[in-house]
Amino acid sequence: MTLGSRLRSWQRTILQRSRTESEMDAELRFHVESRAEDLTRGGVPLQEARRRAQLEFGGIETAKEECREARGASFIETLLQDIRFAWRLLRKSPGFTTTAVLTLAAGIGASAAVFSVVNAILLKPLPYPDSSRIVLPELVAPAGVNLGSEYIPWGQLQFRMLTRDAHPFQTVGAFQNDSFNLTGAGEPASLDGFRASQEFFPALGVAPELGRAFTTEEDQPGHEFEVILSDRLWRERFSADRNILGRTVELNGSSYTVVAVMPADFAFPRAEEMPSSFNFPREPQLWVPLAIPAEPKPGPSELAVIGRLKPGVTVPQAQAAVNLITEHVEAQDHRYVGWFNMRVVPLQRQVVGDTRLPLQLMLGAVCIVLLIACSNVANLLLTRSLARRREFTLRAALGAGRARLIRQLLTESLLISVTAGAVGILIANAGIYFVKTLGPSNIPRLREVTLDLPVLAFALGVSLATGILFGLVPGIAAARENLVDSLKEGSHKSEGSRMSARLRNALLVSQVALALVLVISAGLLTRTFFQLLGADGGFSAEQVLTFQLPLPPLKYAEQDHIVALFGNVLERLRAIPGVQSAGIGETVPLGGEGESTVIRMPDHPAASQKEMPFANFTVISPGYFSAIGTPLLRGRDFLETDTTDSMPVAIVNAAMEKKYWPNEGAIGRQVGPGTTRFPLLTIVGVVPDVKHTSLREETAPEMYMLYNQKPWPSMLEMRVALRTKADPASVTETVRENIHAIDPDLPLARVATLTTLVDDSMSQPRFSVLLLGSFGALALLLASIGMYGVISYSVLQRTQEIGIRMALGAQRRKVFGMVLGQGARLAGLGIAIGLVAALGVTRLMASFLYGVRPTDPLTFAGVSLLLLGIALLACYLPARRAMRVDPMVALKYE
Amino acid sequence: MAKPIDLLQGTLDMLILKAVSLGPLHGYGILLRIQQISKERLEIQQGSLYPALYRLEHQGWIASEWGESENKRKAKYYRLTAAGKRRFQAETEKWNRMADMIAGILSTTPEEV
Repeated sequence: MTLGSRLRSWQRTILQRSRTESEMDAELRFHVESRAEDLTRGGVPLQEARRRAQLEFGGIETAKEECREARGASFIETLLQDIRFAWRLLRKSPGFTTTAVLTLAAGIGASAAVFSVVNAILLKPLPYPDSSRIVLPELVAPAGVNLGSEYIPWGQLQFRMLTRDAHPFQTVGAFQNDSFNLTGAGEPASLDGFRASQEFFPALGVAPELGRAFTTEEDQPGHEFEVILSDRLWRERFSADRNILGRTVELNGSSYTVVAVMPADFAFPRAEEMPSSFNFPREPQLWVPLAIPAEPKPGPSELAVIGRLKPGVTVPQAQAAVNLITEHVEAQDHRYVGWFNMRVVPLQRQVVGDTRLPLQLMLGAVCIVLLIACSNVANLLLTRSLARRREFTLRAALGAGRARLIRQLLTESLLISVTAGAVGILIANAGIYFVKTLGPSNIPRLREVTLDLPVLAFALGVSLATGILFGLVPGIAAARENLVDSLKEGSHKSEGSRMSARLRNALLVSQVALALVLVISAGLLTRTFFQLLGADGGFSAEQVLTFQLPLPPLKYAEQDHIVALFGNVLERLRAIPGVQSAGIGETVPLGGEGESTVIRMPDHPAASQKEMPFANFTVISPGYFSAIGTPLLRGRDFLETDTTDSMPVAIVNAAMEKKYWPNEGAIGRQVGPGTTRFPLLTIVGVVPDVKHTSLREETAPEMYMLYNQKPWPSMLEMRVALRTKADPASVTETVRENIHAIDPDLPLARVATLTTLVDDSMSQPRFSVLLLGSFGALALLLASIGMYGVISYSVLQRTQEIGIRMALGAQRRKVFGMVLGQGARLAGLGIAIGLVAALGVTRLMASFLYGVRPTDPLTFAGVSLLLLGIALLACYLPARRAMRVDPMVALKYE
Repeated sequence: MAKPIDLLQGTLDMLILKAVSLGPLHGYGILLRIQQISKERLEIQQGSLYPALYRLEHQGWIASEWGESENKRKAKYYRLTAAGKRRFQAETEKWNRMADMIAGILSTTPEEV
């Protein structure tokens, strides 16, 4: 056959399908009619002639089918035919179709939405070139030393020691966060930024959008007055001026030359992508050179280090190489023994951080929803294919092949699942919007979540897989039916239907069990959430305004100067009408981690320097506790009479008292910072534990000291708390005016009410509850639809039996109870299996829970009862229908 | 009239090609023509005629067009294409060789072996 004719044939098939079909009809009709005419000419009556002509011709439909096949393009054609047929059939039972499509769409939509999040956070490479080569060498605290964090910040000297021998790295740089007061360009603003060494940008592999990265010369003390702006800062403060390069801006009182503007999506490092102990800002707005001196002094510094591995170097190889550096350093200077251990962490893993577990939880939850949806649809299709057994038997008897029947069923289920996939993508889109709007800000890379190609492929894959599975199983079952038996026996009682009844029951039981696991998990999270709402944070959040007062370091280099400023600020703020009390402190409740330090206590002498204990350490002013609403448990508060010249005093929290003076009490004891350069402080009061990062945190020992008794921290980034009589927002402007009246260059940063801070800290648990709660509700809904479907069908099948029972005198109530009992048995079995599974699953959730045990009996019992109740409710309607069965009608039913 | 014999597998295509080689015919006409030239000795399943026609057309050996039948009705007429003509000749030769060979084998007497 020539290519041309083949193409023509295909073209005819596809483009003129309906025409060829009607032509075929006409041709065959012509044949039969001509034959009939010939027969009448031979004397046969017209009626008889037509009959005989048709008989002689044989099966018209079979001939047509063979003709279609002979024409060559039969696959597409029969496919179109199948789809048309399936479409007609589905439209005829809208209830079934809608339920199946929506059920599956809910499952596909939810799982595609969750997959989009997992894809963006766990699977997609970071948006830097060759991002798998970017690593963070982190300094690990010596074993047994508790610094409150696994990592210790790098010092300048240690960083130099690393770069001297940095064999596995192509380039390795350091960075450190800092805040910068921008003045001389409108309202003064406090900007979050980083001091970054010259190697920082090459390590990431990112080049500026405008201008150039720092040079080696600029990364030296005295030459570091260059700044790189973020795209956002450039747009908001400098109206996206493309001639900005070379202009100078005032930062912390010094002039910096703008050398570059970064691309729009660049903001490294973000707080949520780095270890929380660094306390990095949420989004950096500028970068300046770090400028480490050539001969750095030993001593603490808060550096983080980033490196790019040489091509071909793996992370384990890099780890082995830095281990050698450690050995080398320890051999040269024994003071470093144990204090120069490094761990090479791929940036990708650091960014994912602690979100891996919650993501897996989400993925697990959504898989359960998808499984329930799938088993629901499987049940629906199974029920339907049973009801259609006669149709299939008839079609098989008329000559439809086994493969043809399976193909027809497959087409139907694929039509359902692909439609469900399309609806599911819409649902996923809504879900992604929901996650991006309500998702807590500490989930990394959330802004990168989109409905992209991998997600679409995932949704399509899931719909095709479910469609094929659900079409194939009932299809094969139907094709294996014995024609004669099923024609003879009507629509029930055969071995096949008993088998599939068992299958349907098993599917239902597993649905109930899965739903139970999910709802119990959601229930535990909900209880956690309410426990947190009621948790005592050690403060009272209502009507408190907080803000940060970052001081320009050059202008406020002297501590006396700062103390005078704070005295002035407190005096002015307390004079504002509507302000009840005002205080200054290094931290505010739930405002982030504070400082910690080694401490010495004369009544708890440490055996060696290494074993000195740690405690949180917070500098505050008098009035701080009354402003944040922390009551005094024992002793007295700091007073205005505690001054530079009076006895140095301290207040400790309950956790510290309990740890060191559990019986004798802390009042009157002495505590001080680790170095003897600072005097010991006498404890005068004990306050409750105030939470810093979240209401669920285990509070560490904490000590407070006065800002005017010569503390050593810089006090350049103190926070102010104001308790007001009315709405705190109403005094914000007055506060700003008063601060500017003292110093017009002082910006107010991080202005927030304490309730907002509490709210922010709750966003993660709230989100988990919302997410798992909606999955749980969906699972309940789907499982009850499944229960309703199975019980209704079984009532329908048993109509005859019920009729006979009633005719023999069974009470209506008894019939009602019988149906309900059937549902209760299935639900009970599901609940029993689910309880066992839940015991295993909830243990994995322990780290998400607060104030409730993973095996909380109340939740387990409550959810089981709820599920049983819903199951019985789903059986109620079919049971009532069974009760109303008219024996006469039922006996005639078949 | 002798009892009609069943059609040998694969020969229907050849008979159709022969029938339309004598001039364009519609499907029913092809049936009549074959019966006529076989002197009613061949039994053709009418239902199997059309799939064969469609197959031959798909292979490009016959072509079809709609025309008017002798009883003034629309009918689909088939005619032999050039490719069909070559194919028919090849098939005929093959058939003749085959028939000669089989006849030769069947007429072999014991003495000849």
